[in-house]
Amino acid sequence: MLDPDGGLVRGTLDVLILKALSWGPRHGYAVAEWIRMATDEQLLVEEGPLYTALHRLERKGWLSAEWGYSENNRKAKYYQLSRSGRQQLRAEVSSWERYARAVTKALAVATG
Amino acid sequence: MRRVIRTGFGRGSIPREVDDELAFHLEMRARQLIGAGLSPDEARREALRQFGNLDEVRASCVAMDRERIRTMNRVSLLQDLRQDAVYALRVLRRNLGVTTVVVASLALGIGANTAIFSLINAVLLRKLPVRAPDELVVVGNPSWVNSMSYATTPQGNAHSYRTYLALRDRDDGLVRGLLATGRADRLLVHLDGGRGEPDRPRGRYVSGNYFHVLGVPAFLGRTFDGTEDETTGGAPVATVSHRYWTNRLGGDSAAVGRDVVINGARFTIIGVTPPWFTSEIVGQQIDMWVPISMQGVLAPNRQVLDDPQAYWLLFMGRRTPGVTFEQAQAGLQGAIRQILTEQAPNAVVVSDVARLEVPVTPGARGLSRVRTSYEAPLVILMVGVGLLLVIICANVANLLLARAVARTRETSVRLAIGASRARLVRQMLTESLLLALLGAVAGLLVGRWGSRLLLALAADGSPVLPLDTRIDVVALGFTMLLAMLAVVVFGLVPALRASRVDVAGAMRASAKSLTGGAGLRGGRNPLGRALIAGQVALSMVLLVGAALLVRSLRHVEGADTGVDREHLLVVDVDAYSRGYRDARLATLAQELGDRLRRIPGVTELSWSENGIFSGTESASNLGVPGFTAREELDSISYFDQVGPDFVRAIGGRLLRGRAIEASDAPGSAPVVLVNESFARFYFGDGDPTGTTIRISDSTLAQVVGVVADIKDQSLTAAARRRYYTAYMQRPLGSPGALRFLVRTTGEPARLVPDVRRTILAHDAQLPIDGIDPLSTLMRQSIREGRLLTRLASGFGLVALLLAAIGLYGVMSYAITRRTGEIGLRVALGAGRGNVIRLVLGDALRLVFIGVAVGVPLALASTRLLRNQLYGVTAADPVAMGVALAVLLTSAIVAALLPAVRASRVAPVVALREE
Repeated sequence: MLDPDGGLVRGTLDVLILKALSWGPRHGYAVAEWIRMATDEQLLVEEGPLYTALHRLERKGWLSAEWGYSENNRKAKYYQLSRSGRQQLRAEVSSWERYARAVTKALAVATG
Repeated sequence: MRRVIRTGFGRGSIPREVDDELAFHLEMRARQLIGAGLSPDEARREALRQFGNLDEVRASCVAMDRERIRTMNRVSLLQDLRQDAVYALRVLRRNLGVTTVVVASLALGIGANTAIFSLINAVLLRKLPVRAPDELVVVGNPSWVNSMSYATTPQGNAHSYRTYLALRDRDDGLVRGLLATGRADRLLVHLDGGRGEPDRPRGRYVSGNYFHVLGVPAFLGRTFDGTEDETTGGAPVATVSHRYWTNRLGGDSAAVGRDVVINGARFTIIGVTPPWFTSEIVGQQIDMWVPISMQGVLAPNRQVLDDPQAYWLLFMGRRTPGVTFEQAQAGLQGAIRQILTEQAPNAVVVSDVARLEVPVTPGARGLSRVRTSYEAPLVILMVGVGLLLVIICANVANLLLARAVARTRETSVRLAIGASRARLVRQMLTESLLLALLGAVAGLLVGRWGSRLLLALAADGSPVLPLDTRIDVVALGFTMLLAMLAVVVFGLVPALRASRVDVAGAMRASAKSLTGGAGLRGGRNPLGRALIAGQVALSMVLLVGAALLVRSLRHVEGADTGVDREHLLVVDVDAYSRGYRDARLATLAQELGDRLRRIPGVTELSWSENGIFSGTESASNLGVPGFTAREELDSISYFDQVGPDFVRAIGGRLLRGRAIEASDAPGSAPVVLVNESFARFYFGDGDPTGTTIRISDSTLAQVVGVVADIKDQSLTAAARRRYYTAYMQRPLGSPGALRFLVRTTGEPARLVPDVRRTILAHDAQLPIDGIDPLSTLMRQSIREGRLLTRLASGFGLVALLLAAIGLYGVMSYAITRRTGEIGLRVALGAGRGNVIRLVLGDALRLVFIGVAVGVPLALASTRLLRNQLYGVTAADPVAMGVALAVLLTSAIVAALLPAVRASRVAPVVALREE
């Protein structure tokens, strides 16, 4: 799961962002915090690339965005899954699971 | 919600937005770190460190957002367009009546333009479908494509075979390959070795390199390879067109290599040309090409290959790369002059050559006889249909304008709820565009059909010109351009008007008021009224043009031809190629003439060499005692050799002396009869009879009489001076042709079968080139003028009708809007007459404005017709008066209907409507 530099495998960040937004709209900071907590801080997510990814996903049409007010009443950009984003999440989760199962099984055989 | 964001951010605010978002993140992170115990400065630094490369992230976010907005705008523009189109379609469907009228008028206008343009395209614009047509140059006059002239003076419009060989073999590097092409009339082909009905393909003599120079490959077999010219009479081969191969040879590939008999000689068909190649001549389809070197074999009695005075070939060459057209032109002209000088038998001819014009022109558009005769009529018709389209656009604009006014309320509602004016204009233009497109599609169909109709009309009974009037890219582009122009003309006006709607005013009331006070004249439709005046002006131009052409045609058709045109049959037999010469020819004329004269219904008969309206002419130089020529042409006169009683037989009028009689035979002193123009030119008011003149180089003949001028070759050209010698006496050698002129009691066409039977009974092998009533020949000679007149009259009438409909529409509209005012006037005691006068006066005011503009416009534009008019001037007051009368009458009729309707308005009804 970690590449040699300790970063994320390509594409993993996208699916984590989609997952983070699956419970409803969040701003970028909240997405970063969710990933940090949900992965027990195991994954080193650089925050800059997270924003690049958010904008890329918005361009792809998987996310939509609107400005709203944060808990502390500051103006913040809230992201939300679009219909195609939700489909993408489902597809990626299932393909990830297949991939992980296969790799895990292979590794188990090799070490066993 | 997304939409709000999209419209909320302009392009300039994207970086700011990204900055706001990133700043929010950094602030939240710093706040969290402060909560964990860091100092504010440390927290800010740590937040930045955790974030990574801020500038790079910012830049890529901005780039991606920009791209996203661009895509979105594109999508929304397309959505708007689709929305506009759907809405426009709905509007058009809802007003099916208006839509139909508009599309039909546009189809008519665009169709007529497309039809004329496709002819112009075919005759004047399109290039030959051969390889690199722009490299081709034509030596000789391209319209002399079917000429065969014998002349003692050198000619530049067509050339002899000797000149061809000399020019081809010069090595001055101007052209790569030089082909020669000449008329081959009367090819009698027996496909089954001499038995059965002969076939008469349209043939052409060409040099052996013809196909090679043009770059036309063989479709089947092979074409000529250049060796055909090497020995005279040594290449009995023929190449046929794809069409001939399909129609006559059954499209059978075994036809290649087959032997056929052409004019009694055995030939082999060696190949078939591709379907796209009809020949180098526009408006002429060739079926069969034979090598020039075979001319003597195919026409043994008329061998011209060795005759330097037979001018019958045109040349085409392909410019060598690097040689400009001007260089090729100058070089070829010089070469031709040099060759003709070398051929000249004496010093007189050498000086003729020096003065000779030698046409060398670009050859991309090929050769054509019809181009010259149709160019001016087609250009005139194009201007005419162009005007017609403008008139149609004005009518359509008026219709749409009326509808726009009717939709004022809708428009103002849409404006009030926030639609932008630009969007409304776009919406209306979309409607117009859709109408124009529908009109253009229908117009293409009309044009396709129209161009064929035009060709049929142009043919006027004779075979239709084989012109390629397919709608090609050029014609399609032209039609679409017209449609776009039409949108601008008829669509913009209502659209702009709609965008100027005063929202508050239109919402407040339906704006009908009894106290309008400005009367009908001040009606709410100034634009519509201006359009009507414009239509009247343009209709005036078209009507005047049509009236002029009709008057001119009447003049031409009714002109005194000096003969009994309704009762003459012109019989053309090719005695020469059957071998009749000298005494035998005279005997044939005498004997066959006697037989023909015995046909019931024939009253009189004579013959001559050139006949009347049969297309051939003879001319010679001459000398008249006491007359000194100021220029060379002064001592040249046309002449004909005529049989006994020629003048009486054709219904001519003898003015002085006597005519040619049977006693003017070989052995007696040569005599000539001269026409009035001849007598006036050489003798002034004096009496020429009794004078001895020199005809040709050395023959002396005595003038025995003067005959009234006869229009014998053209109805429109002025009479030429002409003298007549005795056919039987032959003072100038044997005549080359024989045409009988048969005078009948009844309709001459009815005697055609009898005449044919009689000729064949006399000599079954004598080729008959034509048996035609003189009136038919005369009519055909003014074919282009008749076509032009018919079409111009048609366009004039359509224009008139459109203007009348437009006027009717505008007046009806004005009256509907003013029903209340009229009702009030009636209530206050105005009589029906008053109301009618009011409406009519209003309409006529418009018409007069139109006429005031139209008359000078007509005077200016009918100058275009100058060369097509005979017997009338371009500013003919009668034509002008007729046009004016027709226009005024139609205008009064068109305005009378709404006027009468207005006068019947019951005051109570009118007032209640308010």
